[in-house]
Amino acid sequence: MGTHTAQPQRARLRRYATSYAMLLPFLALFLAFLVWPLANSLFLSFTDFDGITPARLTGLENFGNLLFEDDRFRHALGNTFIYVLASVVIGTLLSLGLALAFSGSSWPHRIMRTIFFLPSVTSSIALMLMWKWIFFPSDVGLANTVVGWLGGSTVQWLATPSLTIPILVLMSVWGGMGYGMVLYVAGLNTIPGEYYEAARIDGATAWQQFRSITLPLLRPVTTYVVVTGLIGAFQIFEAVYIVFRGTNSVGGVLDSGLMIVPYLYDQGFTHFQLGYASAIAWVLFAIIFVISMINLRLGRAMKEL
Amino acid sequence: MRRTMAVFCAGVLTLGTGCATGGQTETKQADTSAPATISFWSTGGDDETAIFQKAADLYKQSHPNVTVKVQTLAWDDAYAKLLAAATSRSGPDVISGGMTWTIQFGIRGAMVDLRKHGIDTLKAQALPAQWESAIAPDGTVYGVPLDMSTHALYYRTDLFEKAGIKSPPTTWEELTGTIEALKKAGVKKAFSQDWGNLDWIGYFNYLYQAGGSFYTDDCKPSLDTPQAEQALKFWVDLYRQHGAPTATVEGGDALDTGTAMVSAGSWIAKGLDIDRPKLKDKWAMVPLPAGPAGAKTFVGGRAIGVTAFSKYVAQSAEFVKFLYTDQAVQVMVKEASGRNLPFISARADKIGQSTFTPEQSAVFEASIRSGVAAPGCPGWDESAPDVSKQLQSVILGKADAKTALTEAAKIMEKNAG
Repeated sequence: MGTHTAQPQRARLRRYATSYAMLLPFLALFLAFLVWPLANSLFLSFTDFDGITPARLTGLENFGNLLFEDDRFRHALGNTFIYVLASVVIGTLLSLGLALAFSGSSWPHRIMRTIFFLPSVTSSIALMLMWKWIFFPSDVGLANTVVGWLGGSTVQWLATPSLTIPILVLMSVWGGMGYGMVLYVAGLNTIPGEYYEAARIDGATAWQQFRSITLPLLRPVTTYVVVTGLIGAFQIFEAVYIVFRGTNSVGGVLDSGLMIVPYLYDQGFTHFQLGYASAIAWVLFAIIFVISMINLRLGRAMKEL
Repeated sequence: MRRTMAVFCAGVLTLGTGCATGGQTETKQADTSAPATISFWSTGGDDETAIFQKAADLYKQSHPNVTVKVQTLAWDDAYAKLLAAATSRSGPDVISGGMTWTIQFGIRGAMVDLRKHGIDTLKAQALPAQWESAIAPDGTVYGVPLDMSTHALYYRTDLFEKAGIKSPPTTWEELTGTIEALKKAGVKKAFSQDWGNLDWIGYFNYLYQAGGSFYTDDCKPSLDTPQAEQALKFWVDLYRQHGAPTATVEGGDALDTGTAMVSAGSWIAKGLDIDRPKLKDKWAMVPLPAGPAGAKTFVGGRAIGVTAFSKYVAQSAEFVKFLYTDQAVQVMVKEASGRNLPFISARADKIGQSTFTPEQSAVFEASIRSGVAAPGCPGWDESAPDVSKQLQSVILGKADAKTALTEAAKIMEKNAG
C-alpha cells in the first residue's frame, strides 16, 4: 500500500524537482526574514526580554498587564480606534468622490489624477516634515500665516491635545485618498456602460444609477480599499513620531497622539521592554486580523443580500 | 486542525526559545599591547564628531598602537541604534549620549563599571552635580560626563530699549513684571521657552529655584511639597497668565521672529549672530532669574562610557580618561571654536575656557556653578515622561497643581521599586 502511494509521489518530486529547486532561494529568504523574526517575536512576547539581559519566560504576564493594567495602552488603543475610524471613513468617501469626478480619459482628468496620486509616491518622511512645517508654531508656519491673513491669532496646532487626532486624520486622508481614487477609477472602468444605458432608458435618476449600479459593483474595490486602509491606519507611526513627538514622550502633549505602534516603539526602544513591545505587536495583529475578517464577512454577506 | 495548530504553536515557541536570545557572554579581551582600533559612537552632529576625532588623533600620538574612530549617531535614533548594538553585543567600544543613557545600559549589563579601570579619579575634576547625575544610584560608574550645557535667558536688547526697560530680569517678580511691561509697550511675544517647554526640564529650574527638588537626598520622591507647588504655580502662570506659548519654538527662531525673552539652552548662543545676521547686536543673555531660594539652573550634557562587549575595555577606558586631560580639553575647545560650535568641557575648572565669548562664558559659568543636574535616583528615567504629563495637565488646565504633583510623586514612588 505504502509503495503504491510513494511511487507517484516520487515521480511527482522528480518531475517538479527543478521548480522546487527554483523556489528554494525565495523559501530561504522567507524563512530567514519573515518566519524567523515572527517566531522570535511570538516567543519574546511571553518573556521579560529587555534587549540586553537574557530573556526570562513570564507566561501571559505581558498580555495580562497590557489588557487589564496598562492605562497608557488603553489610551493608545482608544486614540487608534478613533483615528482609524475617522481616517478610513473620510478617506474612502473622498477617494470615491475623486474617482467619480476624475474617472474620464481626458487630459484634465489625467492631470488631476496625477496630482492627487503624487502624495502616495512621495517619501512619507518628507511629507511629514512638510506637515510639521505647515503646523509650525508661531507665525513662521503656513497654517498660522493663513490664520494671520484671516485676522485670527496664532494657534498652537501641535500643542493643543484636541487638535492632535484631527490633524493626524487630515494628514492621512490627504496622503492616501489619491491611491484609493486610482483603485476606484479602475473599478469604475470595469462597469459596462450598457447597465447605465438600460437604467437611463428605464428612467433612473443619476442618484439611483449610482446607488443601484455603481456602488454595488464597486463593492470588491471598496472592500479592498477599506481593508488596506484599516491595516495601514492601525499601523500609523511616522506621523506621530515625526510631527508630534516631544522631548520625553512619543505621543505628544498629554499623549494626545499616542497610537499603538508608537507606543510599541516607545516601550521597546526607549524603555528596554522588548518582550512587552512584542506582546503589543501580537495584540495589534489580532485586532487587525479580527477587524479585517469582520469586514470581509460583511462584504460577502452584503453581496448575498 | 486543532492538532496542526498545536504543533505549529509548539514549533514556533521551540524555534523562538532556540533563537531569541543567546544570553550574555564575557567578551574576550585583546592583548593590551597589541594594536587596537576603538570604535566610538558619538551622539550629536558631524561637527561634534570632528571635535572628538581631534582628541582621538592627539591620543594616537602618545598611544601609537591605539586608533580611535569616531562615528556620528544622530540624536533621533541614537538610543535605538545603541540598543540594537547592545542586543547583538557588537558595535562600538565607546559610546556617548544623554546623561543617564550609560546608566540605563549599564544596569542591564551593557556597560563596563569604569571604577575597575581607575576612572573614578576623574570625580575630582568633574562638576559634582553633574558627576552625581552620571553615576548609577548604587555608585557604579558606567559613564562619566563628557561635556556640559545649561539654560540662559536670552533677550532682545532693541525690544527692551523700545519698551523703556533698562535691565533684564533677575528675579521671578522681575520676570513677570518685565513680561507685562513688554506687552504694555506693544511687544506681542514677550516670553517663550525652548529647552524644556511643557517638559520636566522646564519645570526643573523653577522647582529648585523655589527650594524644592524631585527627590530627597536619600532618593525619596519629594514633589508633594509647598515649594514644588509654588514653583509649578509660577511656571503655569507664565503660560496661562503671561502668554508663554505651549508649542515649542527653537530659541533662535523665537528671537528672530520678535520674541523679546527666551529661556533656552546654552548651545544657541554660538550660532545666533552667524545664522541670523538680522539679530547681530540686538540680543544679550543673562542667567535665569532667581527664585525665592536663589539661583538654580539645570545642568545637562552628555556622558561617555565603555561597552561591556568591547574587546578593548582597558584601552577604551584610558581614552575616556584622556579626554579629561589639559591637552585633550585644549584641542577639543580649539577645534570647536574653529567650527563655531558650542562646547563646554566636563572639567569643572575649565568651564570658563569654552568656545563662547568671555561675556557668554561668564553667564554660563555662573549658571553651572549654581547648577543642579537631573536626578540620578532609581526609577527616574521611567517616571520622567509621566511626570511631564502631570505637569502638562496643569498647564492645559486639566488638573490643579497639588493633585498633579501628588500623582507625579506616586508615579515616582511606584517606579522607585
